[in-house]
Amino acid sequence: MLKKVFLTIGILTIFTKLVFAQSFCALEESKFDPKRVESLKAFRNLPILDQGRIKPLDTYAAHILLQFSGRRTLNKKNAVYWLADLIFAPASTQKDKIFLINNPDIPEALGIDVQEKRRYSFAQLNPSLNKLLELAQSADQIEEKERDVVEQEILRVYRNIELYIQFTYVTTFAFPHPDFMITDKEIIKELNLPEDQKGYSFVDIIQKADILQSKLNGLDKSKIDAWGDKERLYFTLTNNLFSWVASNRGFPLNIIASIDTDDEAWLSPWDIIGQEFYDERIQNEILFIRNMTVYYWNGKQLEFNIAAKALRSSLKERASVKEEKNLGKFGQELFYNKVKLFGWSKLLYGLVFLLYLLSLFFNPRWLRILSFSLIGVGIFLHSFGLILRMSILSRPPVSNLYETFIFVGFIGVICGIIIECINKRWVGIVVSSVSGLAMLMIAGKYSAEGDTLGMLVAVLNSNFWLSTHVISITIGYAGCCVAGVIGHLYVLQNIFKPKDKELLKSTHQFIIGTLGFGLTMTFLGTVLGGIWADQSWGRFWGWDPKENGALLIVLWSAIVFHAKIAKWIKPLGFAVGSILGVIVVMWAWFGVNLLGVGLHSYGFTSGIAMSLLFYVIFEILFIAILAPIAKKRLKTK
Amino acid sequence: MFDFQKQLAKNPIIKFLSSVKIAVVCLGLLFILTLWGTLFQVDHGLYLAQEKFFNSLVFTFLGFVPFPGARLVMGVLFINLVCMCLIRLVYRWSNAGIVIIHIGLLTFLISGFVTFYTVNESNLSLIEGAGSNVSSLYHDWEISVWREGQEKRDVYAFNVNEYSQGKDLDFSSLGISVFLKNYYSNSNAYTTADEKAEAVINNVGIKTLRLRSFDKAPEKNLPGLIAEVTLKEESKNIILYGGESDPTKIDFNGEGYFFQLRREKEQLPFVIKLKDFMMEVHPNTQIARSYKSLVEVITPGASREVLISMNKPLRAKNYTLYQASYAVDQMGREISTLAVVRNSGRILPYVASSITCFGLAWHFLVMAFRRKKRRK
Repeated sequence: MLKKVFLTIGILTIFTKLVFAQSFCALEESKFDPKRVESLKAFRNLPILDQGRIKPLDTYAAHILLQFSGRRTLNKKNAVYWLADLIFAPASTQKDKIFLINNPDIPEALGIDVQEKRRYSFAQLNPSLNKLLELAQSADQIEEKERDVVEQEILRVYRNIELYIQFTYVTTFAFPHPDFMITDKEIIKELNLPEDQKGYSFVDIIQKADILQSKLNGLDKSKIDAWGDKERLYFTLTNNLFSWVASNRGFPLNIIASIDTDDEAWLSPWDIIGQEFYDERIQNEILFIRNMTVYYWNGKQLEFNIAAKALRSSLKERASVKEEKNLGKFGQELFYNKVKLFGWSKLLYGLVFLLYLLSLFFNPRWLRILSFSLIGVGIFLHSFGLILRMSILSRPPVSNLYETFIFVGFIGVICGIIIECINKRWVGIVVSSVSGLAMLMIAGKYSAEGDTLGMLVAVLNSNFWLSTHVISITIGYAGCCVAGVIGHLYVLQNIFKPKDKELLKSTHQFIIGTLGFGLTMTFLGTVLGGIWADQSWGRFWGWDPKENGALLIVLWSAIVFHAKIAKWIKPLGFAVGSILGVIVVMWAWFGVNLLGVGLHSYGFTSGIAMSLLFYVIFEILFIAILAPIAKKRLKTK
Repeated sequence: MFDFQKQLAKNPIIKFLSSVKIAVVCLGLLFILTLWGTLFQVDHGLYLAQEKFFNSLVFTFLGFVPFPGARLVMGVLFINLVCMCLIRLVYRWSNAGIVIIHIGLLTFLISGFVTFYTVNESNLSLIEGAGSNVSSLYHDWEISVWREGQEKRDVYAFNVNEYSQGKDLDFSSLGISVFLKNYYSNSNAYTTADEKAEAVINNVGIKTLRLRSFDKAPEKNLPGLIAEVTLKEESKNIILYGGESDPTKIDFNGEGYFFQLRREKEQLPFVIKLKDFMMEVHPNTQIARSYKSLVEVITPGASREVLISMNKPLRAKNYTLYQASYAVDQMGREISTLAVVRNSGRILPYVASSITCFGLAWHFLVMAFRRKKRRK
């Protein structure tokens, strides 16, 4: 009902006279600043189709700003404020330092002073755009695999600037322009245009296309020389309309759904004007955007909100069932974006780890209870975040690399809670805090690579297999990682508490239990993966790198268990085996993706190689230094 | 322990073969092979890695150092497991999980061997509207020969991989024999001849073949051969190249014979006709959402329509056909490529998986129950 009210009011406002309070132009230096609206609540809730998914502008803004600057906020303000400026008043964003250039060679080559924070504004880069274009063209000539870091960075920066410039044209149809200047009052009257307006925009004139058409009828039969001033102006206006439509194509911001119900595509305002402006609903939606632009400049909050809500209502009214379902989840997504549940969980896990360190010197009972309670709050927020993501995307909790980090952290914390309920001696708390903190930190770092709520490639589009194979495997990863964390603890306990036999025994039992659990789940996941492969590709096993990675975990865990049965290793050796098992898990998890080969290399990420190397070096040093000390302490106890 | 176990345990060979230490060594070797084989794929591709590390009994590295291949290691592990099941495993209810797990693993190894020896993989590329009952193997090539002018063409073919150079291929039904002079597993073809080269016949004027190193993607390898074809004491030299689309014709006293080096064919017990190929992408992206091929499966006296899509293959008469890839030809026609797999041991991994997972679940429940009881 409310949807229709907004739509009706919105349509009524289309016909009210609209004048910009200030004059302005697209990306040229402007001495005027828009008055802006204070709240962008209605704007951030508008839908956009991006990377195959309909999402709120709030998510999109953060994603675009992240792509440009490597950050989700600008000057501590939500990215949506920057995006609104960029769309409605682009000139005002010229001095925003949003272009991240990682390599100092590039600003030097462009003749720009190197900035400490590596971020540059359009105003700084603008004088060197020709040089940048030259460099980008040279880099583009080189085969993708052959490009060095600088060449890749040049292309990335150039593409970002190109996209930024395209953004500045998104709403040019709403701005008065000399191409549509009419001074003759008679013509203004004939075209039924508002008389006291200083200038007219593309959208003002295109609405009068029918009148223009009728005025031009029969003109082709007379010579141009014989045309009067009026006819000349009608022709010029019509010609300008055509040339504007022809030249303003392929811009970003796909916020209007096509009226073709068979076509799931959404188009940018200019593209929809070029293709489907004949439809009244599309005309209204374009006019809503025009209104938003004007009211944004004039700082009229209520009118801006009405225009934004009317646009949303109109889009919702003609949305397909699937699209409407997505639109209905915007509240959840906006909440997810705003609350940052995983960030809070991470903070709590970190805090608990600090409390554990404190407990090594000062250990009253309440400290453990407090830590355990904080873990409880952390896992509640963690679970809530996972459930929200599942609800937003309508798919199982693990379907991309980012989600594996979140989920493994979640299982690690759950394992820790179970262990703590049994052991009650901080072991579980340490497991929970370390697993949760480490995994959410990696996830946070990985999320900087782009939208974590992306769509899946065809072969992964199977909820049944995703929810069985992938979840089993990731639970297996978590089990082995937890065994590794307890393994570290066991080595340290051997050094610092070698006489506490009961503690050592129980910790050892937990390593056996969690590694066995990890082995079982990885094995189950591998088998389910085999069945999936057989269903999809007609073969159970193909020695693909990712399959091999899972097999390596199974083999390693089996080696550790059988070496214990063969009495080749003792509890300390078993702990070391479980620590090394984490390296095997890391290899299977994302090390394999670094190879960039095989059917599973969808999660490729380049920056992770160095971190993985440092991790392996750390573990090897940990074992090489502390394991012999632990062995010695055990012998001398 | 049962009496028969005690008896067998007295046999020193069986006792040695059942050692857990052998199992650990085998698992360790498999670990190394899996890791090594994975890294090897980066530069050499999956096929060569499979051949070297996983399908071999023994291979050498650094030119001469031998290393056991996965097939040998798994063979030893199988014997070790059998011996262990015979004399070491304790057959009682509380240990049933462990017993079942190991029986499941034995079934896995058996299924691996059965699959290795029986699986046959080929592919079938169809333009929309076209049908076929013949698929092409990925890696195996054959020399096919048929006589000119027959109403119903009888094609005779030999798999070239089974015949090394210097061997005679006897097409006795046609009265001709083919002596393989040179065979190149992957080659480049040239229309210029070496000075001392013998005169050869070829459909498109190929005169020389030169060996080329193996490609990472084995389906890109194009073999070539030079052979001497003899009919009633008249001999002629011929060059056949895998990259040729048309056969080469040889005349013997006015009678024509066609020769072609082509991918080995697999005759299917049904005809597959591609009615429509559909590809969907996520809106406003190039990310594929689904690939689908609507096919008609035609068997003598019957036909049915089936929609093959990702994760939903067609299963018919021991064959599995799944969506592998697609292309658009120069005329804008859509071509769907279906992978065709025939695997007699297809059911075995399912059996093995079920047994092992059941054993794991059993073992875990028993352990958890036992721990709870102990705590009480």
